[in-house]
Amino acid sequence: MVDANVRPLRSGDRIAGRSALLLVACGGLAACAGSSGKGAPQEGPAADAPAPICAAPDGTLGTAPLRRLTGFEYGRTLADLTGADPSVASELVPDEESFGFDDQADTYSISTLHASKYFDVATSAATTLVADTARLSAFAGCDPTADAACVEPFVRAFGRRAYRRSLTDDEVAAMVALDQVTASPGPADGVSAVVAAMLQSPQVLYRPEPSAPNAAFGPALATRLSYLITASTPDDTLLDAAEGGALDTTPGLLAQADRLLASPRAAEAFSHFMFEWWDLEGLDDLQKDTALYRTWDSSVPGELELETQAFLTGAWTATPSLDVILGAPYTFLDWKLINYYGVAGADAPNGFVQIALDPTRAAGMLTQGSFLALHAKADQTSPTLRGKFVRELFCDPPPPPPPTIVVTPPAVDPRLSTRQRFAQHTADPTCAGCHQLMDPIGFLFEHYDAIGRWRDVDGGQPVDSTGYIVGTDVDGNLDGVPALAQALLQSDEVRTCVATQWFRYAFGHDATSDADTCTVSALASELAATNGDLKRVIRATVEQQLFQSQRPEEAAP
Amino acid sequence: MIHLRGPRLSRRTLLASAAGASIALPWLEAFEPRRASAQTAAPKRFVVMFSPDGLLPAWTPSGTETDFTLSTILSPLQPYQDDIVVVRGLYQEGGGGDGHQNGIGGMLTGTTLNSGPFGGTQAPPAGWASGPSVDQRIADVIGNDTKLRSLELGVQVGAADNWGRMIYRASDQPLPPEDDPAAVYSRVFADLHTDPAVLAAQRARQQSILDTVGGEYTRVAAGLGSADRQRLDAHLDAVRDLETRLTKAGPIGGAACADPTVHAVSKDDNDSYPDVGGLQIDMLAMALACDITRVASLQWSRSVSQTRFTWLGITDGHHDLSHLSDDDATAVDKLTRINQWYMTQLAALIGKLKSMPEGDGTVLDNTIILYANELAKGNTHSRVDAGYVLAGQGGGALETGRFLRLDPTQQIAHNGLLVSLLNAMGVPDTQFGKADWSNGPLSGLI
Repeated sequence: MVDANVRPLRSGDRIAGRSALLLVACGGLAACAGSSGKGAPQEGPAADAPAPICAAPDGTLGTAPLRRLTGFEYGRTLADLTGADPSVASELVPDEESFGFDDQADTYSISTLHASKYFDVATSAATTLVADTARLSAFAGCDPTADAACVEPFVRAFGRRAYRRSLTDDEVAAMVALDQVTASPGPADGVSAVVAAMLQSPQVLYRPEPSAPNAAFGPALATRLSYLITASTPDDTLLDAAEGGALDTTPGLLAQADRLLASPRAAEAFSHFMFEWWDLEGLDDLQKDTALYRTWDSSVPGELELETQAFLTGAWTATPSLDVILGAPYTFLDWKLINYYGVAGADAPNGFVQIALDPTRAAGMLTQGSFLALHAKADQTSPTLRGKFVRELFCDPPPPPPPTIVVTPPAVDPRLSTRQRFAQHTADPTCAGCHQLMDPIGFLFEHYDAIGRWRDVDGGQPVDSTGYIVGTDVDGNLDGVPALAQALLQSDEVRTCVATQWFRYAFGHDATSDADTCTVSALASELAATNGDLKRVIRATVEQQLFQSQRPEEAAP
Repeated sequence: MIHLRGPRLSRRTLLASAAGASIALPWLEAFEPRRASAQTAAPKRFVVMFSPDGLLPAWTPSGTETDFTLSTILSPLQPYQDDIVVVRGLYQEGGGGDGHQNGIGGMLTGTTLNSGPFGGTQAPPAGWASGPSVDQRIADVIGNDTKLRSLELGVQVGAADNWGRMIYRASDQPLPPEDDPAAVYSRVFADLHTDPAVLAAQRARQQSILDTVGGEYTRVAAGLGSADRQRLDAHLDAVRDLETRLTKAGPIGGAACADPTVHAVSKDDNDSYPDVGGLQIDMLAMALACDITRVASLQWSRSVSQTRFTWLGITDGHHDLSHLSDDDATAVDKLTRINQWYMTQLAALIGKLKSMPEGDGTVLDNTIILYANELAKGNTHSRVDAGYVLAGQGGGALETGRFLRLDPTQQIAHNGLLVSLLNAMGVPDTQFGKADWSNGPLSGLI
């Protein structure tokens, strides 16, 4: 097997695949830095402690798959480059999803329809840019629609931002030639055609990296860093740093990472990751039985989405830790949602503000309407769906029901509680095997109805929110969601799962090789060492050999 | 019994017709009275319509090949009984992934799914289909001279995964159905109401841009390893297709060609399903009538569809219902009505094409529509005795008004049907899909 180990990083270490490696042999992952044993108490946060690093020998890192920008990333990229609204990308063919993420490189497909949509979206963004003379002129300090001599400098300057590196002379010549044949009826048409063509280039849509062993890798690292942290294209400062060699050392790379992590764009990217991970993207179309839930109307899903976004932005600004995400005794509400949830004594006349909640009831995103309403049926709660989601936090989803059984939930009966109606799942042995993994966890949520509001009565009976977890490293009897949250926060399995999900999103592929799983271990260790601080995990990702190394599929012929 | 059927064409004539389509002639002129020239002028078309989650055992007609009574589910097709062929007794092949995945993936490809990232029910994860779908093989021959090589439409098709893809250009190249009528309209029909001079200038400009974009793909691909290069090459092919099509005659139109009207609709709202579908049927039919494309498909929802047929008074999700017991009379009634509703939509599509004059006959005369489902029976995921309905005569290639009864116990692979459809469309292949499953055309169909 490969020597793939987690070791502490010494300050200033350079962990690039291209350089010789310093390997510190470990007896095994469990004995390595930052990795705690099952059930062991978490270590306290240590702001200056080095992040655990996975180091693997050259040639064992596997290849980095060619990544394509997701619709989310492309929209943000176009916005940064041209001033277009990021929603311009909503016209694109939807991205394939795997593991719940839209950026998995091995799922992409391409068709003429894709190409047609890229053409339309790029053309629309180009039109936006060309109409904005100030923005257009800022690239090269001259207006290419007014001065023919400005076309080439514009191509070089805009191209550097768009292609995330300086253009070759051939590339410049191709674009100048395009300008010449399309500059009719006026010069703006030529510039617009050039911008549209560049925005469809594989240099923009994809993330090709140089494969030659001695190629300058700084611009590729800038691209990795920028999309990892901001889900968009590198800014001028980052490109300057890359081309000046500043990203060739870990401290230089971390300095830029810290700068980007502090930007509001990082909060937006983090929120996107969280929405994908928590599978909250079906909110738009969510419908409920409005005869049973009279406070539900078509504006509610959007409000609930804003609540979770405001919560995540707040968390990112403070500390985006698992403690907060799974356990915060507060949320962010506006006056409409204060009324919706019936929070006593709260007020928010001017938009979303942090509102303290009863800590015996509230537990971060687990008790927000977005999650609760999505993991429920139109006319009733679903202990199964909610329990299934919690199992997915352990990366241990139960199998879907066998194809030959009835999957319709029991009909609503006003005389019976949900728990009573779901009793068949545990009474019938063909169901119980899997449902005992889900329903008893789901019952912990029974104080929250199908649209996410607190209730004390269900089916004419007082709510019983007791339940239990089995088959994990934190098994036990529990009562209510806050108790569940505390159990989840004690779980090494949950930390490893969070690290796995982050790894998939960050690297665009599943963790399969030894170097991959070793990297997941390093990130899980960082979670354990920082009370689950995801910002620290993102920073630690940048320090990983897997992130910094050139991993070409093969040398170009 | 009346058979609206053109003269049968020899394979040689069909191939000549496909290869030598008279793009130099304005179509309106080509479609002028041509009593004797139908064999060379009218284009053949091929259309697929899919509906999900299986049929019920009671879908099959009763009676003999030429004297048969349609089932309740098929009853909406009764006005067009002379224009259809019902085929029963085939086994729909497929493999890889779960039953829904390989059902929709194998339905038109006759082959298995590649391994891949999409995790199904009690099955290893699977990817895209490992070969082209039958319509795309047909498009190789009849799709070269139109603005669009083929047109994939859908209604609320959901996520981009292998439960939601039935059309494949090639192995690992699914073609996504477009399910936003407004977007379809602007992409397919914008030319119809653009001034020809403006259109020509637009196309020249688009061509220059796409040519430059293509150069970029070539340049970047050259520096990549082989798998990555393949990805960019596939993208380059798509860019080149877009570029090449700009030079095609485009929508010149036959006798029935008109600019369709599209109204605003909430494309993802469950209750808009019939409305969106109606618009898509209108545009699909018009794209054929205007000769914008000769190969088209309509995908209703996706496999494992949870559409709620509220307009029929049914609030359950379709897939949930499809898993209920055969003994559940209420569920059987609901599923019968759901499938009947889909057959009403098929009837609407048939009726549209039949209402469009072309030469001495109608567009339907020169078209074959294939209806298929990813399963035979929802609650067992069985594909024994899967339901297929063909409509239209394909330019005289298909004799309609028939009920082709094969023996379900023989489990005859549906690849034979796909081969027969290729032959009817003028593609002389003797095999299609996975070699183990393909043994020539279906006997007795064409």
